[in-house]
Amino acid sequence: MRLGLLFLGLLLLGPILSEYGLKLVSEALILGLYAMAFNLLFHQAGLLSFGQAAFFGVGAYAMALLVSRAGWPFLATLPVAVLASALVAFIIGFLSIRLTRIYFTMLTLAFAQLLYAVAHKWYAFTGGDNGITDLRPAGILGESLPFYYLTLLLFALGVGFLAALERSPFGYALRGLRDNRARAEAVGVDGFRHLLLAFVLSGALSGVAGFLQGALQRSVFPDYLFWTRSAEAIISTILGGSGVFLGPAVGAAAFLFLRVLVQANTEYWPFFLGLLLLVMVLFFPRGLAGVWENLAGWVARGVRRGAAGG
Amino acid sequence: MDLGFYLLQLLTGLAYASTLFLLAVGLSLIFGAMGIVNFAHGSFYMLGAYLLYAFSRGQAEGFWTGLILVLAAALVIGALVERLFIRPIYRRPEEYQILLTYALLLILEDLVRFLFGAGYRSLPTPPAFSSPLFLLGTPFPSYYLFLVGLAGLSALLLWAFLYRTRLGAWVRAATQDREMLEALGINVPLLYTGVFAMGIALAALGGAALLPLQAATPGMAVDAVIQAFIVVVIGGLGSVWGALLGAVLIGLLQAFGILFLPEMAMVFPFALMALVLLLRPWGLLGRPPAVRT
Repeated sequence: MRLGLLFLGLLLLGPILSEYGLKLVSEALILGLYAMAFNLLFHQAGLLSFGQAAFFGVGAYAMALLVSRAGWPFLATLPVAVLASALVAFIIGFLSIRLTRIYFTMLTLAFAQLLYAVAHKWYAFTGGDNGITDLRPAGILGESLPFYYLTLLLFALGVGFLAALERSPFGYALRGLRDNRARAEAVGVDGFRHLLLAFVLSGALSGVAGFLQGALQRSVFPDYLFWTRSAEAIISTILGGSGVFLGPAVGAAAFLFLRVLVQANTEYWPFFLGLLLLVMVLFFPRGLAGVWENLAGWVARGVRRGAAGG
Repeated sequence: MDLGFYLLQLLTGLAYASTLFLLAVGLSLIFGAMGIVNFAHGSFYMLGAYLLYAFSRGQAEGFWTGLILVLAAALVIGALVERLFIRPIYRRPEEYQILLTYALLLILEDLVRFLFGAGYRSLPTPPAFSSPLFLLGTPFPSYYLFLVGLAGLSALLLWAFLYRTRLGAWVRAATQDREMLEALGINVPLLYTGVFAMGIALAALGGAALLPLQAATPGMAVDAVIQAFIVVVIGGLGSVWGALLGAVLIGLLQAFGILFLPEMAMVFPFALMALVLLLRPWGLLGRPPAVRT
């Protein structure tokens, strides 16, 4: 119900936004979807992935290579982008989801950087650091408003899917594994398979986000696969609050707002990202959602005390 | 391609393995004793290189005093970072500890960019090692031998410290049972500060020692931490000897792999890591975990 209202609001927002506004809100939706895909792993499965950029980048490169080298229409590349990022997620996940969560985090970072290095050096295939440019989708999707609606549609589908997943038996199994893997496995949940499936789903959704981002920017560069791109999903999630369903999406919007603000004044954006993450982790581990709940609780207590006093 | 050539390649591999060992052993030690994976470990390696450049003012003559100053500075920085940032979150879930060191990785990379610029910073080989050493008619860069000696000496001192001193026994005990150690009246937080500072100092030493061979850039931090991860995953996380074995394997693999398949050299360490993960996921010298978590 609440989700429906959110989507309706975003639907009505489209025609009143300027070109720049459309681009910014589209980017917020894309980053929101990407961060929510990350949080499927982080919150539901208790897995901290530092390599989400791998799937984001593979989705973007699948689209870009098919459009620019093979002349495919933009939308037709979506299934391939999803499949390619799911496949890469399957391979990385198969190797990374072993033993402990610490291994998982280290290995996701390492494999994602390997893909970055390959994209960076393999000039003949990916164009190296010249990237792939001129990716404006043909037809009306090359215009801002239709593209915004496509982004909104995919965002709504992705978020709806994640909401359904959270309430499904699969979601319960994931949380069980997160809270106590030994017990969850003792009642018959296959830990490795469940975590791997969650990883593949998260990778596929990240691939959709990369597919959209490449078209929005009209270009794809190796930095789509770079580790700071993974940091964007992580920081959006921590900023918004990982424990609330829409927290990562709210965090993504706040993240972009901050980026516009900071980048107008300084080139040292990663420094601010790091500082932001440091402050959130040390003082506000539950993110903006946690700050909001504290404020709400504080106001409610104040009102009650006022009523009791009066 | 004669024997001398292969010996030179062997020495190159071992020299690279030496800096890798200094980098990875601190990561392994910090994880073993404190249970924290330090994603900013490569950043201190990078910081070591930049600090040596700053202390020696880019002059080869300043190498030795510079190296000692780097060690001292890294010990202080390591202790401060542990006190200010790591200590407040010991009791938090491990994800938040990792996120915190990840934040430090972002901050330090940009901080170095701000202080030293984005370009390359390098140092000529110190005068004592400027002439090569001849063996079998092949010139061997004597600085490579110095690196191997430095890492060998560090490994030996570390072994003596961990296995022949009381303090070292406490560090080993901390890897087993922190609460029991506290119950015996040992100041565990202080011990942690020391272990962290020592690990950081080793990484900084590795980064500084590499500077005459390879220029420093702000981007080297994340590459370094990934190399260190590969080394400890192969050798076994938390094991000092595993770090040594992993570093030597990766160093030799790089040195000889580049001869036969230069385009693929970058992928070799990852392939070896994947193989170890499939066959012996806890690493060659690591211990399999008793309970899967």
